[in-house]
Amino acid sequence: MSTQDRVKINKLPTGVPGLDEIVGGGLPEFSFNIIAGAPGSGKTTLAHQFVFANATPERPALYFTVLGESAIKMLRYQQQYTFFDPAMLPGSIRFINLSQVVLEKDLGAVLEQITKEVEKANPAVVVVDSFRTMVRKPQSDMDLQSFIQRLALFLASWQATTFLIGEYAEDELRDNPIFTVADGLFWLRQTAERNSIVRKLQVIKLRGQDSVPGLHTFRITDAGVQAFSRTFGLIGHLKDPPSHRRLSFGIAELDKMLGGGVREGDSVLVAGSSGTGKSVLATQFIAEGIRQGEPGIVAVFEERPQAYAERATSLGLDLETPQKDGKLSILYLRPLDLSVDETMHSILDAVQKIGAKRLVIDSLAGFEMALSPGFRADFRESLYRMIFALTGIGVTILSTVEVDESFTEFPFSTYSISFLTDDIIRLRYVSIDGQLRKIMVVIKMRGGNHAKDIREYEITDKGVVILGKRLTNYQGLISGIPVRSDRPGSTEESSLDTGIEHKN
Amino acid sequence: MRDLAQRLLEYEAFAAEASEPLGSPVLRVYEKLRQSLGEFVGVAGFQSLAFRALTQAKSEAPGLWAVRLAVDGSLQGLGEFQPQQGEFEPQPGFGKDQACEGGVVLIARLLGLLLIFLGEAITLSLLRMTWPGEVLDDRSSAYGRKA
Repeated sequence: MSTQDRVKINKLPTGVPGLDEIVGGGLPEFSFNIIAGAPGSGKTTLAHQFVFANATPERPALYFTVLGESAIKMLRYQQQYTFFDPAMLPGSIRFINLSQVVLEKDLGAVLEQITKEVEKANPAVVVVDSFRTMVRKPQSDMDLQSFIQRLALFLASWQATTFLIGEYAEDELRDNPIFTVADGLFWLRQTAERNSIVRKLQVIKLRGQDSVPGLHTFRITDAGVQAFSRTFGLIGHLKDPPSHRRLSFGIAELDKMLGGGVREGDSVLVAGSSGTGKSVLATQFIAEGIRQGEPGIVAVFEERPQAYAERATSLGLDLETPQKDGKLSILYLRPLDLSVDETMHSILDAVQKIGAKRLVIDSLAGFEMALSPGFRADFRESLYRMIFALTGIGVTILSTVEVDESFTEFPFSTYSISFLTDDIIRLRYVSIDGQLRKIMVVIKMRGGNHAKDIREYEITDKGVVILGKRLTNYQGLISGIPVRSDRPGSTEESSLDTGIEHKN
Repeated sequence: MRDLAQRLLEYEAFAAEASEPLGSPVLRVYEKLRQSLGEFVGVAGFQSLAFRALTQAKSEAPGLWAVRLAVDGSLQGLGEFQPQQGEFEPQPGFGKDQACEGGVVLIARLLGLLLIFLGEAITLSLLRMTWPGEVLDDRSSAYGRKA
């Protein structure tokens, strides 16, 4: 069958930010869907968002309430959400209570009542909340199956997109006939992880549509349910072709060490222990970008944007003006129960808003701490998805990471994430001539040559300043406790492999 | 809320004169509310709201002592209502036995509960299903003063 012979399935907006992408562009029109989950997981709110996004006076929504939350209380609470438009009641959205017929009669009478109301209103959307309570009364499997079958057939024939809402447990998935009949099955989960609540949504089934598999984080705010796709809203976005541009740090010597600068679209990791100047380097990177007309985002987790900007000022870098000019956004993300997907959403919003080319994440440790404990377990995987998505749209990312100073190892990060990064710059303290000095080395540059030099640097009121030439008179610099070696022409390159353990 | 209740009663009194009357204006307003809200909140839902409204109204209008609620939420015993001295507040279009303070109070209390639970916008939307907008939209009296 050619594409043009196939029936076109219209996709309806879900009214839930982020969910359209997860379901493959919108919900199939006339589909018969289940929203399942435990009490308080957001089922009713999600259904309301769909209803408010699709109901019209000509094709209204019928919202059947059964036993459980009364319509009055439901509306009392639901009208607090910003999507709730009271003017749509009752012309476009009608609430009908079926409690009495459910309590006093059988499923046949319930179907008859629904049929009567649907024939009268010709609705585009039908919701039964809660369907579970409707069928909880003892009845034979055959009755139930027949009821569900007839209900689904009737509502589809009347060209209604339907949601049945129910408090189902996951072990019911196998045997309950409702799940067989349904075209779409949305499962909302809510679990407590230490002191945080983690909400996740899964599209277990969606006929005729290519939905994004897996568990997607969602949050309920005063705007209702907001879903965060695992693909970060970048499905179908063509990966930008690799750029050959080099981005400057604004530190000429460092740019030289990097073979001319960071490749555009790379992910750079700046690793070092506390006080080695990771944030200073990151600030110089972003400030230089702005100076060259490349808008930037700084995601900070450990200090407030104002403090971050003030620290930049002390280095002679103006981050206030570009913020006012819309060329820089400093995001403070620290609610302690974030998911990477939400963080990513905030960052992507900012990237798109100001057309950012450079992004600083300062720091990965702060980022991890801002996440709900449940999400920390997936930190590496989430970080991978985030970096892949952002670099895919041409953003150059610089992340800072704190590493414990060790005199037996030379770790790049505590997250085993160096494989995620294209370039690694390592900063560390070193004991030389009775002083604790700082050295810098470019460990890795994917797809490009870089200097092997170990360079000493200082943090001055102009930021990171690289001193002199490479250190040639010491052996074992990267151990932190070098030994003076006055052999002429000795270099440090060989010391990288002198028994010091490299940890990724 | 009292003003709105009074306007609904006046409207129904006028409608009763213009067409075939079915009970007192109080009963007519109440029954219309019961029908429209019953569909929305269910019989039990309406019954519990009405019970609360009646309990409150009885404390303000003792003449409602004989009024009871049936299981389906309908009013019983309204005919036995004996207006107390000073309870009448004659309005144009009201018959002597209809313009009673107790009826106004009961309807006002019921509308007041809707306002508390649902807010003004949804309450008015629901009432518009039954009564014309001009009866409801007189802001100078409906929502400008307290019940």
